[in-house]
Amino acid sequence: MKILDVRKVRKQFGALVALHDVDLTLEEGEILGVIGPNGAGKSTLFNIVAGLDNPTAGAVYFRGRSTAGLGADAVCRLGIAKTFQIPQLYPRLRVEENVLVAALYGHGSDLATGRKDARDWLAFVGLGAKADSPADSLSVSERRRADLARVLATGAPLLLLDENMAGLNQAEVDGVVRLLREVRARGRSLLVTEHIMQAILDLADRVVVLNYGEKIAEGRPADVMRDPVVVKAYLGDAVV
Amino acid sequence: MLLPLAIRPYPLRVATVIFMWAALAGSWNLLAGYAGAVDLGPVVYYGLGAFVTAAGMVKGGWPFIVSAAVAGVVAMIIAFLVGTPTLRLRGAYFAIGTLALAESGKQLALAWDRLTKIPLTGGSAGISLPLTRGYTLFYYVMLTLMAAVVATALWLRDSRFGYGLRAVGENDRLAEASGVDIHGLKRRVYVGSALVIALTGGTAGYWLSYVNAAEVFSASVTFQMVVMTLLGGLGTPLGPVLGAAFLTLCSEFLGTRFVYHYLIAIGVIIVIIPLFLPAGLVGLPRLWRGERAPGSA
Repeated sequence: MKILDVRKVRKQFGALVALHDVDLTLEEGEILGVIGPNGAGKSTLFNIVAGLDNPTAGAVYFRGRSTAGLGADAVCRLGIAKTFQIPQLYPRLRVEENVLVAALYGHGSDLATGRKDARDWLAFVGLGAKADSPADSLSVSERRRADLARVLATGAPLLLLDENMAGLNQAEVDGVVRLLREVRARGRSLLVTEHIMQAILDLADRVVVLNYGEKIAEGRPADVMRDPVVVKAYLGDAVV
Repeated sequence: MLLPLAIRPYPLRVATVIFMWAALAGSWNLLAGYAGAVDLGPVVYYGLGAFVTAAGMVKGGWPFIVSAAVAGVVAMIIAFLVGTPTLRLRGAYFAIGTLALAESGKQLALAWDRLTKIPLTGGSAGISLPLTRGYTLFYYVMLTLMAAVVATALWLRDSRFGYGLRAVGENDRLAEASGVDIHGLKRRVYVGSALVIALTGGTAGYWLSYVNAAEVFSASVTFQMVVMTLLGGLGTPLGPVLGAAFLTLCSEFLGTRFVYHYLIAIGVIIVIIPLFLPAGLVGLPRLWRGERAPGSA
């Protein structure tokens, strides 16, 4: 059963085609990496899948159901939750309350269950000790983990992680990779975009490469990285 | 406090005025202070409530309570219809849209009798209501309205609905991406506050036994709600109550002593308080303890 089916999605901003009829599928429990140079259309694709933006043409299906016409909140409740490239917070709420909102509204929990879930997910991402701190006291790396706890708390089976490791050091990146494997082991499917190539290669079952809004390659990470078309897109002609 | 029979008419009247403004400012605070939507047209429901209540009593011959209830229901229906499109506007656009709405409401009320041939508003002359005995009814009604608003604000501090609303106020994009139906939540608050404001307007009209469009739709009612909330403490349950009490008592005290110049003093007070208490009067105990108020650099 496919959890996500992106069919011929096109996004045009005036004359600029940001996404050129992109097809993409994700199986239940799979980790799919989306890579590509800056401006390849990764974030546009993620925003469309998450309902934060509408495609010019094409459609997105979640477990066979079209998400056309649904706002980001309805898409989240349906089962797709996305982290933000620049981690977002409710600055004047406590860290626990930040995650709690996602449990209450994304997952539909009551207050008592939501609180417990929020604490559990914060402990899971290693922020258990910060639960009662003001949200705006978190460091960049902590904000990324809090954002991860938030999407986990929505209960969404499909998580979109938009450069969740940007700005982290090597040890922190390894920690996040371990965490995401554990997330998958708990039954979630992941769509991941990342600039840190090693992390994607370690993590993803399959990789899709975008360049100028077009899908130029797809397959197992090791195979894709040897594909001359991909190498050219990343490094230019001279190397090949 | 709950025994108006024990005190004299003047303090009772001042207390009623404070409760009225606390109910109005508190209603505005629910949407602006919690959901972050700055409504500059709440007076439209005050005027609507006053006119529908007056029409019910004068033309319909209904008792006050029935007329006020009808006014509340009418205000909720109109707030639902108006809120559905306007609450999608963001920031300044919502503020301007609601301000324009209130002005249109005033013009419509002024022209109503001429346009519809159904005499309800009395045009610019307004309409008079039956006189009443005593103040106690108004005291209790205003007290109840204020208590309802404060109770709602307290409930928002630790409820599912309250967390959703505060999330919308703090970061609406993030709230939306976390599954919060921003528009639905805001609309429920908007409709609820329209109910309280309309009931307050209806009660005030009956109390003064005279309603006229220029006064009950005046933007100064809106701005007084805004100023009282900001003085007292935006987004806090007791801020609007403190702001209403403070500003009303200042006006009463200064107005009786410096009849012609008291507004200058009020203006100075409105400027000085936010300078030293950026979080509003609710931040006063903190200042006394020598802590720095949150929000001050």
